[in-house]
Amino acid sequence: MRDLDSIFDPKSIAVIGASREPGKIGHVITKNFLDGGFAGRVYPINPKAPDVLGLKCYPSVMDVPSNIDSAVVAVHADLVPGVLKECGEKGINGVVVISGGFAEVGNYALEQQLVDVAKKYDLNVIGPNCLGVLNPAARNDSIFLPIYKMGRPKVGDISFISQSGAVGGCIIDLAARAGIGMGKFVSYGNASVVDEVDLLKYLADDDKTRVIVAYLEGVKRGREFLKVAKEITRHKPIIVLKAGRSKEGAKAARSHTGSLAGSYDVYHAAFKQAHIIEANRLNELFDFSKMLDYPTCSTGGRIAIITNGGGTGVLAVDSVEDNGLELAKFSESTERELRKILPDYANATNPLDLVGDADANRYEQALDLVMRDPGVDIVVVIVLFQTVAIDSRIVNVIVKAREKGRKPVAVISTGGEYTEFHRRIMDSYGIPTYSSPSDALLAVSKFVEYCKK
Amino acid sequence: MSLLSFEKTMALMGHYGIALPAHKLAKTPEEAARLAATLGYPVALKVASDKIIHKSDVGGVKLNLRDANEVKRAYDDIALAVGQANAHAILVQKMASAGVELIVGGKRDPQFGPVIVFGLGGIFVEIFKDVTLRVCPIDKDEAKKMLHEIKGYPLLAGARGTKPVDEEALAGLLVAVSKLLNEHDEIKELDLNPVIAYPHGYMAVDARIIV
Repeated sequence: MRDLDSIFDPKSIAVIGASREPGKIGHVITKNFLDGGFAGRVYPINPKAPDVLGLKCYPSVMDVPSNIDSAVVAVHADLVPGVLKECGEKGINGVVVISGGFAEVGNYALEQQLVDVAKKYDLNVIGPNCLGVLNPAARNDSIFLPIYKMGRPKVGDISFISQSGAVGGCIIDLAARAGIGMGKFVSYGNASVVDEVDLLKYLADDDKTRVIVAYLEGVKRGREFLKVAKEITRHKPIIVLKAGRSKEGAKAARSHTGSLAGSYDVYHAAFKQAHIIEANRLNELFDFSKMLDYPTCSTGGRIAIITNGGGTGVLAVDSVEDNGLELAKFSESTERELRKILPDYANATNPLDLVGDADANRYEQALDLVMRDPGVDIVVVIVLFQTVAIDSRIVNVIVKAREKGRKPVAVISTGGEYTEFHRRIMDSYGIPTYSSPSDALLAVSKFVEYCKK
Repeated sequence: MSLLSFEKTMALMGHYGIALPAHKLAKTPEEAARLAATLGYPVALKVASDKIIHKSDVGGVKLNLRDANEVKRAYDDIALAVGQANAHAILVQKMASAGVELIVGGKRDPQFGPVIVFGLGGIFVEIFKDVTLRVCPIDKDEAKKMLHEIKGYPLLAGARGTKPVDEEALAGLLVAVSKLLNEHDEIKELDLNPVIAYPHGYMAVDARIIV
C-alpha cells in the first residue's frame, strides 16, 4: 500500500511555483498555508523571487537546507518532470501536481514523462491537473482557491475523493456551508500515479475517516477497485457519485447482451457487488454521508417518527414505505407513558404527533420514551420551527437525546432562514438534518441498507 | 469480432453443463427430415453458419415444423434465403416446450472484465430492458440475488397460478456462464437467448458467442 501520510499530514511543505503576484495560483496556495494556520514549515520555491509573503524563497527544493516532506507544484506543465526529478533527488516523498496540460489535453507524452520520474524516485504523486489536498485537522490546505471565495469545512470524519477539481471545489464549499465535518479531501485529477484504488486503501486504514465519499468519472483498475471496495465496506461505508452514464459505449455491441450492458450499467453492478452506496445527485453525497457518519450500525429498519405537525408526519410515513422501511410499533408501556405527557386529544401511536403547541420539554420527554422502546431502531424527529412553542432550546434536546440515546436520529425541518439556521447548528453537532421527509428517509434507507449487507 | 463456430459453441456449452434441446446437423433436406423424426416433432431448423450473427433477420430460422414435408420445405427456404455458401449445414433442433423466456448473456467490459447479464427474454428484453448485471465471477448466492432482483421476478415465482420455475437450476446456469466467461478471455460477447425456464430445469434454446 502507498504511504500517503506525507501528502495528507506533512510537517514541512514546499510550494513550487510560489509567486509574489496575488493573481497567481502559486501565490494563493502559499497564502492559504499561512492564513490557514499550517503549523509546519512552508518553503516557497521560485528562482525569480527573493521572498514570497514574507517567507524566504529558494530557487529550487535542492537549495532548501532542511528536509521537506511534501511539495505542491504549480508551474507550467513542461517544467513539471524536471521539478519532480528535483523532488526525488531531495527525498521528498509526496507531491501534489496542481498544474494542468497533460493527458487531459492530449499531451500523453508529457504525462508519461511525469509517470516515469515518479516511478524512478518512488514518488507518490497526486494529479496532475488537480485541485489539491485538504486535511482540516492538520491545517494542510493546498487547494488553490482563495479562502474568501471557497469556505473550508470544520474537522470531522467524512473523507472525500474527487476526480474532478470543479466538483471537488463545490463539495468543499458546500460542506463548509452545511457544517459538515471533513476528514480528508483530495482532488486527484488525472490519477497518473496515485489513483482511486490507492486513495481508497489509504482512507480505509485512516482512523480519522469513518465514511468515504467519492466522485468518480471512471476508474482505472476496475477489478482491483471492486475487490478493494468490497473489503472496505465490511467496516467502512463508501458512497459514490458516478458521472458519465451515457449509453454511447453500448452502440457498437453485436449481441443483445452487449447493448444491455452499457459502461454505466457495469459500474452500477460493480458498486452493488461491493456494497457501495450510490448517490445520484451531489446533494445526496451529503445527505447519505451525514446519516452514515454514525459510530455503530442500526439494529434494523423500524422507524419511529416524532413530529409537531401532522401533515409532515404523514409525508414521512409515505417516505418510510417508499424507501422500503418499516414503521415501528410502540410497546404498550411506551404508549402508556407517552399518554401521561401528551394532551388528552393527542394519540400515543407512531407517527407520534406531539401537536402544534409542543415545546422542547415535551420533545425531550417523548424522545426519551421512544428511544428506550426496543421495537424502535431509528428515530426520525420532525421539528417545524414555525410554531410559537419551538425555539432554540430544541437543539439541545436533540443533541442530548442522540448522545445518550444510543440510537441513530435524523431530523427533518422544513422552512426558511430561521429553520436553516437551526439545522446548520444541529448538523455541526453531527446530527443529520434534512429539509424534507423524502430526502431524510432516503438517507435513512441507505444507512439501513449498508448495515444490513 | 466474429461469431464462434457452431461446433465450438456447442462444445463449450457441453463442457460447462449448459442444457440445450436435442439437436443434429443436416446437410440435405432428406437428412433433416430423417433427423427430425428421430428427435421427435415439432422441430426447429436454424442455419448454423459463423458468417450469420442475426439468423432470424435473414430468414435463417423456421420454427414449429410438424412433419417431414414442412421440414424439407423449410430446409430449402433457409438454403435459398442465406445462400448456398452458408447453407452447408442446417441445425435440426427439437422445439422446446413453453415456459418463462429469459436471457442470459455476457460481455467483456474494458474496466471490469467479464460481466454477466440476466433478465426477462422475448419482447420484455426489447421493450422493458428488465435485466440485472454482475461483474464475474459470481457464486450461487449472488446468482439468486440476480434472479430476485429483476422487476419480472413474480413471473419466475409463479404468477397467476403457474408453477414457480427451477431457481436452483437457473442459479446454476448463471454460475456456469460466469465461470465460462472468466475462463475464456477470447469471448467478447455471449447470448443465451432465449433460455426457457421450467418448474424442473431450463433449456438454452439459442447460443451465440462472439470472439
